[in-house]
Amino acid sequence: MKISNVLGLNARTQLFSYRYNTLTGRKICDSKLQTAKVLKRVGIPHPEIYKKFKNPIDIESFDWQSLPAAFALKPSRGLGGEGIVVVKTRTKDKDAWITTQKSRVGIEDLKLHVQDILEGAFSLGNVPDSALVQEFVGRHKAFRKYAYRGTPDIRIIVFNRVPVMAMLRLPTKESGGRANMYQGAIAVGIDMATGITTKAYLHGDLIFHKPGTERKLRGIKIPDWTKILEMSVEASMASGMGYLGVDIVLHPEKGPMVLELNAQPGLKIQLANLAGLKKRLERVEELEVRGPVHGVKIAKALFAARFADRVKAEEGIKTVGVWEDVRVVGGDHKKHTIKAKIDTGAWKSSIDREVAKKLGILDKSNILWTKIYKSSLGKETRKVISLTYYLAGTRISTIVNVAGRSHLRTPLIIGRKDLKGFLVKTE
Amino acid sequence: MRKMILGFLVAFSTIFFAGGVSLAQVVKVSPTLTVTPTPTATPTLTPRADLTKETEETLGPLERLLNEQKLGSVWPGNPIKYAIRAAVDAHVPANTIVLLLLLPLVASFIAAARHIVGLRGFGIFLPAALGVTFVATGPIVGIGLFLVIVTIATLIRFTLRKLKLKLQYLPRMALLLWWVVIAVLGVLFAAPLINSSTLSNVSIFPVLILVLLSEDFTRVQLGKSAKVAVNLTSETLILALASYFVLTLKPVQEYALLKPEIYLLVILIFNLILGRYVGLRLMEIWRFRKLIQS
Repeated sequence: MKISNVLGLNARTQLFSYRYNTLTGRKICDSKLQTAKVLKRVGIPHPEIYKKFKNPIDIESFDWQSLPAAFALKPSRGLGGEGIVVVKTRTKDKDAWITTQKSRVGIEDLKLHVQDILEGAFSLGNVPDSALVQEFVGRHKAFRKYAYRGTPDIRIIVFNRVPVMAMLRLPTKESGGRANMYQGAIAVGIDMATGITTKAYLHGDLIFHKPGTERKLRGIKIPDWTKILEMSVEASMASGMGYLGVDIVLHPEKGPMVLELNAQPGLKIQLANLAGLKKRLERVEELEVRGPVHGVKIAKALFAARFADRVKAEEGIKTVGVWEDVRVVGGDHKKHTIKAKIDTGAWKSSIDREVAKKLGILDKSNILWTKIYKSSLGKETRKVISLTYYLAGTRISTIVNVAGRSHLRTPLIIGRKDLKGFLVKTE
Repeated sequence: MRKMILGFLVAFSTIFFAGGVSLAQVVKVSPTLTVTPTPTATPTLTPRADLTKETEETLGPLERLLNEQKLGSVWPGNPIKYAIRAAVDAHVPANTIVLLLLLPLVASFIAAARHIVGLRGFGIFLPAALGVTFVATGPIVGIGLFLVIVTIATLIRFTLRKLKLKLQYLPRMALLLWWVVIAVLGVLFAAPLINSSTLSNVSIFPVLILVLLSEDFTRVQLGKSAKVAVNLTSETLILALASYFVLTLKPVQEYALLKPEIYLLVILIFNLILGRYVGLRLMEIWRFRKLIQS
């Protein structure tokens, strides 16, 4: 991969974070209380907040016995997940709770911890902070076999209303049940199109199994994937942030919830996906994105993982001729057979306008963007749509541009972009 | 903005080439160039020259250099030179002026270390202040004191956590400072025993900076894991040592004193360019090597 595809800290700050984020947006992201307020206003699911502590008086006036058996005590502006106490069960005498790290905390411990938070022990520059008691989100059954004790979360980088890259963070024994990669949590890359995990990364190495077990980390299907992606875009729009990281947890009963927003999301996500973030960001930078549904559609079309390697291993390399019949999935979700030319001189595939209209795939909802193309015939503005078709039995989900091709022999040409894993026979 | 930078660049390159020629002349007349600034290395146990204190030894050569330099008219090229001359004549120590002039250089150096190399350290002030401290105390004593303070701070933090004293944050920090001061005092009391003149000659300001540094160290330790804290501390030490070498480099000192206008302009332009650098840092290339190789 080219070095210029990788996003570094300098570029993140200057080209994206500074340029596309407002001060108000950053303030919302930095404070968990403000994040909750903004999310509530637009109706995005968020773990419930039981109690806020803004002044030391609140500590004494609060009825600590009224707290449930499981909750999380957090600083509003904590750094790097520090200062968070998560309890899962209450002791029999009702005076104390047991944390996820299996230690006992009493009411006095909690009071002192809130005092520390209010004094700013966990905030940047020791600025006085607020504390909050939040609903405990347990582990979703999809992750029960993979995560150790704590709750895994999904980090999604959203830029210009398009989810760009995603990873799943799995707590391990080493990380003490926390989903923090510095403490030894596993970062698992996710295919944007399907929500299936692709690669796993721990301590500078790609790994294939959960440490100490034979459990594969590749191929975990994340439930409600489209909903999760749309939720991340909604959160970015609600906070007014052009570039941010959205952390989402899956509640066992209530489904996906936005846990927090991050104005300066980390760059390790690139290693977990083995993909460069800068290239992806530049790809969506200029696009006009109408809303969450459109943004997610673009993401799925652009950032689908190439399973070519696996296809090669399982099916062997397929050979296609220059003229092929392909089955295109139309707007009615049925397959229609059309003629196609395999053109290794072209990069992107192209489909005829009339045929696309007839197939019902030229709806406004299916148009990703329009782009000016230069060819030997001069400049031309073409619409770009997402398209799924079957070539020699292999399903290909891709983006194609729409052009007038009625005077040519086939309504579809297939470019090199879609031909990975194929051999072309010319006779 | 781009035009402004371009304008700066043109102005800078013309001045720089003119300056480069005259620097060569300066270097020729300089009698102190070959003297390395490590008087502690000699076995005679002479007191170390402290740039932050006004002493005859360090004041002499710099002043002599100023006297040897011939100046043209005040405008356009020499206003700061004349100001320095006037200040030195009014008994402002020349090494104070040099240290002040070198501070922006050290700051730019630390900024470059972060944005081009990827060394973080505790912000920009701490490594710079530590570098100046090393100039005053000598690198060995400076690092020794720093390590003593950091060790004590860490030990106290762990003890307080183990004892479960349940103190509030500010009293806890005050208690930490109490112990750090006791430790530094202990080191100073030990100076006559190990018969180290560099140690007994240490002035209050370097010690004060070192003591205050312990608070930042504990704060980072509180907020992050011990590994991150140790990494940040060692990176700070590396930056401080490098700053120390920049500060004590005789050619740099002389250039800043004799050509302050060009010197300041170069630093200004360097920072304007550095602030717009968006490429990968060297350490990031290492961090993402698997990604780049794939």
